[in-house]
Amino acid sequence: MLGLGIESTAHTFSCAIIEKTGKKGKILSDVRKIYRPDEGEGIHPREASRHHIENSSLVLSDCLGEANVSIKDLDIVSYAAGPGLGPCLRVGAVVARSLSSFYKIPIYPVNHAIGHIELGKLLTGATNPLVLLVSGGHTMLLAFLNKQWRVFGETLDITLGQLLDQFGRSIGFASPCGKNIEELANTSSNYVALPYSVKGNDVSFSGLLSATKSVASKSKVDACYSLQETAFAMISEAVERALSFTRKKELMIVGGVAANKRLSEMLKDVCKRHGCKFSIVPLQYAGDCGSQICWTGLLESQVKQGVTLKDTFVTQSWRLDSVKVHY
Amino acid sequence: MKLVKKGAEADLYQTNWKNSKAILKIRKVKKYRNPLLDSKIRKQRTIKESQMLSLVKSYGIPAPLVYFVNLKKTSITMQEIPGTPVHDLPESKIIELSKDIGKLVGTLHKNGIMHGDLTTSNFILFQKTVFVIDFGLSQISIKPEDHAVDLRLIKEILNSAYAKIMLSSWKNFQSGYKSIVGHAYYAKITKLVSDIESRGRYAQIV
Repeated sequence: MLGLGIESTAHTFSCAIIEKTGKKGKILSDVRKIYRPDEGEGIHPREASRHHIENSSLVLSDCLGEANVSIKDLDIVSYAAGPGLGPCLRVGAVVARSLSSFYKIPIYPVNHAIGHIELGKLLTGATNPLVLLVSGGHTMLLAFLNKQWRVFGETLDITLGQLLDQFGRSIGFASPCGKNIEELANTSSNYVALPYSVKGNDVSFSGLLSATKSVASKSKVDACYSLQETAFAMISEAVERALSFTRKKELMIVGGVAANKRLSEMLKDVCKRHGCKFSIVPLQYAGDCGSQICWTGLLESQVKQGVTLKDTFVTQSWRLDSVKVHY
Repeated sequence: MKLVKKGAEADLYQTNWKNSKAILKIRKVKKYRNPLLDSKIRKQRTIKESQMLSLVKSYGIPAPLVYFVNLKKTSITMQEIPGTPVHDLPESKIIELSKDIGKLVGTLHKNGIMHGDLTTSNFILFQKTVFVIDFGLSQISIKPEDHAVDLRLIKEILNSAYAKIMLSSWKNFQSGYKSIVGHAYYAKITKLVSDIESRGRYAQIV
């Protein structure tokens, strides 16, 4: 079975083709174009959607070419229907609808966050993990129970990705800033005390953000180092609490911030202490990509018909713990 | 010493204190944490927990007695409660005990204490009495917002881990809580819980 997946929730416009045989999936192509804002600035929804519109046909044709597949061979089309930025989401939905209606291909709206998890499971082979989803849009600890992903801890305000981006922008980086912050952090080992806020299994980052900004006025490198140490220790503690509560023996990390080496090093140590298997989504697929949408659509097609065109919605707010999973 | 439990932030050992069975709770060094941050957290929580365990007893909250605190080793020796964590009880029992738990949380809040880690693992049923443990994240606070954070956490846990019994269990919890704090305060806290939920990521905003 051949699927095309279209991702356009935020920075990234991406198309991917996956061939599904039984429970196995093979990524035939995954092409991306990423919108880059100016230094010190964040994503501008209108500009990002313009970027996606301009690049959509090129990304699609490259994706088909790389996979050596023609549109007529496709069995399904899936698109990211949310959560994300409205103007950006619409671009992916329009491309998917056009293909679906012109070529009569069944169409599937997919939850972007579920996509991160399902692709992670496909690529790491994790079966029953506690999932840490850390990205610009999410900071959540999840476990699967009774046909739904359930939240066992999350941020009460901003996400880890937003924390890094908002701080990064304040010292002049362009989002996403995680990589630049990590590089600066590696050059310091001077820890400045910052607010540490763990509330049960939940975390809160807004106080940490303000405090780090004031440290940065004295030393940017110390601020980056201390920010990472504090924020990641908070996440690690929340993970430990959720592991101990759910008694899961497997931890899987997915989402853009999974690319951070210091975070994964800390979480590896957590897993060692709890005798728990550690898996992390491969770097190339940590960030937003068409594959996550494509694979989830393929999984859904096992148990569901595609939706009719009038039901191809997009929604900016769509919590993944409200999605019923039947496959 | 026998390791009883490797918890999220501390290891629990079975030990003796003056001829009676006791639990030694040690907050060990966490290598992944920056050493300065690590020792600060471990010290603060050891002090907080031991103080709070003693304080809540004066409000009639069943909690383990503190025998000894070793700040250097960040350890607390305390009375063993040889019961079963509510976490491990059958669901019908959890529904029933939710009312007691609600009353306990109400009593804490009424006396200006936020527990900070309200999960079913932190209530132990022993001979028909529910004990409250693990005060490491607790705080002296009369702020309704802090109390609402407490309620939101247990609501999240019920919703996630006990989806099937969530409605009846949460209802019982609320009625127990309300019977202690009174109707007006209960209404205020419930409103704040919704506020916190609406601040969450991608929450449905009506």
